[in-house]
Amino acid sequence: MDNELTALTTIFTEFYYWMTVVLMFLIHVGFCMYEVGASRYKHHQHTLMKNTMLIPLVTITWFFFGWWIYWAFPTGPGLAPSIMTENSNLILGGGFGANDLANATNPLMAINLGDHIMGVFWAAFLLFSWTAASIVSGAVIERITTFAFGILAIAIGSVFWSIDAAWGWHFDGWMLKILGYHDAYASGVIHAICGGFALGVLAVLGPRIGKFSSSGEPRNIGPRNPWLVCIGLFLIYTGFWGFYAACNIPIFDLGPEYGMEGVTYFTATNIYVTPTTLSGITMNFLLSLAGGLLAGYWISKGDPFWTYSGGLAGIIAASAGNDLYHPLQSLIIAAIGTVCAYKLHYWVERKYKIDDAVGAVAVHGYAGVVGLVICGFVLWGYPSSGYGVGSMWVGTDYAPINPLGMIIGAIIMFGVLGFLPGWILAKILHGAGKLRIPRDVELAGLDYNIMEAASKDEKTVASSSR
Amino acid sequence: MATVTNWIDHLSASEVAGQVYPYVGTEWLWLTIAIVFWIWWHISTGTGETEEQAKLGRKKHGPNDYKKNIPDW
Repeated sequence: MDNELTALTTIFTEFYYWMTVVLMFLIHVGFCMYEVGASRYKHHQHTLMKNTMLIPLVTITWFFFGWWIYWAFPTGPGLAPSIMTENSNLILGGGFGANDLANATNPLMAINLGDHIMGVFWAAFLLFSWTAASIVSGAVIERITTFAFGILAIAIGSVFWSIDAAWGWHFDGWMLKILGYHDAYASGVIHAICGGFALGVLAVLGPRIGKFSSSGEPRNIGPRNPWLVCIGLFLIYTGFWGFYAACNIPIFDLGPEYGMEGVTYFTATNIYVTPTTLSGITMNFLLSLAGGLLAGYWISKGDPFWTYSGGLAGIIAASAGNDLYHPLQSLIIAAIGTVCAYKLHYWVERKYKIDDAVGAVAVHGYAGVVGLVICGFVLWGYPSSGYGVGSMWVGTDYAPINPLGMIIGAIIMFGVLGFLPGWILAKILHGAGKLRIPRDVELAGLDYNIMEAASKDEKTVASSSR
Repeated sequence: MATVTNWIDHLSASEVAGQVYPYVGTEWLWLTIAIVFWIWWHISTGTGETEEQAKLGRKKHGPNDYKKNIPDW
């Protein structure tokens, strides 16, 4: 940096992403509170530790290979040529390749005086990865082993979400080119995939003991501490602000980027490097939160758990197009997504005996899918990229946003990269006898030994006179 | 061995080297150690969890037995 303006822009961008990481940390705090609040007393501490330990597991694997996958896989490989390398192989070199940027032994993957962005950008994506794993964590509480959850957290947090982000959340992603996929704030690339993954795991894992009667009627379990659940969800909302900010590039000159001669146009952009404003998306965020809360309160008849979850489902449903929607469109889409998520949750629970302890499949999966489909209709005809406009299926240019492409995109996110890997991995872990805790441990409580030890300590201390 | 021994010399070089962490060039070694540690952690904690739960399961506690262990500090 040899002049003040470049230095200011660079340091501003570095600090901007750094702040998003701090804000997004609250998502994880919220998920931990939410999960513990939803679990029963005898499982509290293990529930907390399960969600906490995904932090180091996803962090190190994101460093080892998750970040590398994101930069290597935009072409598929083999599905559409990269605009950088002009072939459809893995993108490994050429300036923006995985080995240039994201190999764990690369000079940029450390303190580097020549780079101020890679570390904070890596960290912002890492926090998305934690969120991905944490979404799955809530659904499977009180009966999964910590070992199995660790493997599943790494799979969704450092592999499958990273592949979907390369495909549909990268300026060079093949899904933009062939399908016209658009998902600015991750209705699909985070939420639908994680909901689908959780559903795949739940289908193998089975319900908690006592969740269904002998005639198959579902019973309500908890939450034990609704206040902790509600505060947790409030914190997730708060962290979501950081998430929205982290999905943007805060300041970028699109003139030279798009090859427009003599044009200078500084703006914020979304992840696809198309223009939006932080100001506008703030309105959309709030209106979609409002739409979700209103719909959640109405459909659940004022139930706090579903009202708060409705706020989250609303934001998730509107997120795919919140870089371009009018705020009132965000409001309506959020409300529709929330109602669909609520109805689908109970229908799937009764029909397939799926015990989703915190409604994660509904709030993230179903609302995300609904949001993607609606986005295809509402943004029909918009360019999916600023680098060019082409036709669907061709792949050498960028298809415009369209309903069919978004429906296929939703199937890829929820089904192909979400449900299927979750189901297969759970089957493997189940086959190895490592997926579910023993029945007697589930009945006694995962924390039985810890509580017994604490009780003994208490008696010893209480009987002491000095 | 220190990568930087004099900041004035380092920053006034015709081409400033970006990497300033110690032992530049040994990244593969650190990566290998970290991966071994990561895999060992899974095996160790996974085995421990299985043993602990098998032991607890054998005691056949009832679903409400935990209540007698709730401490009242």
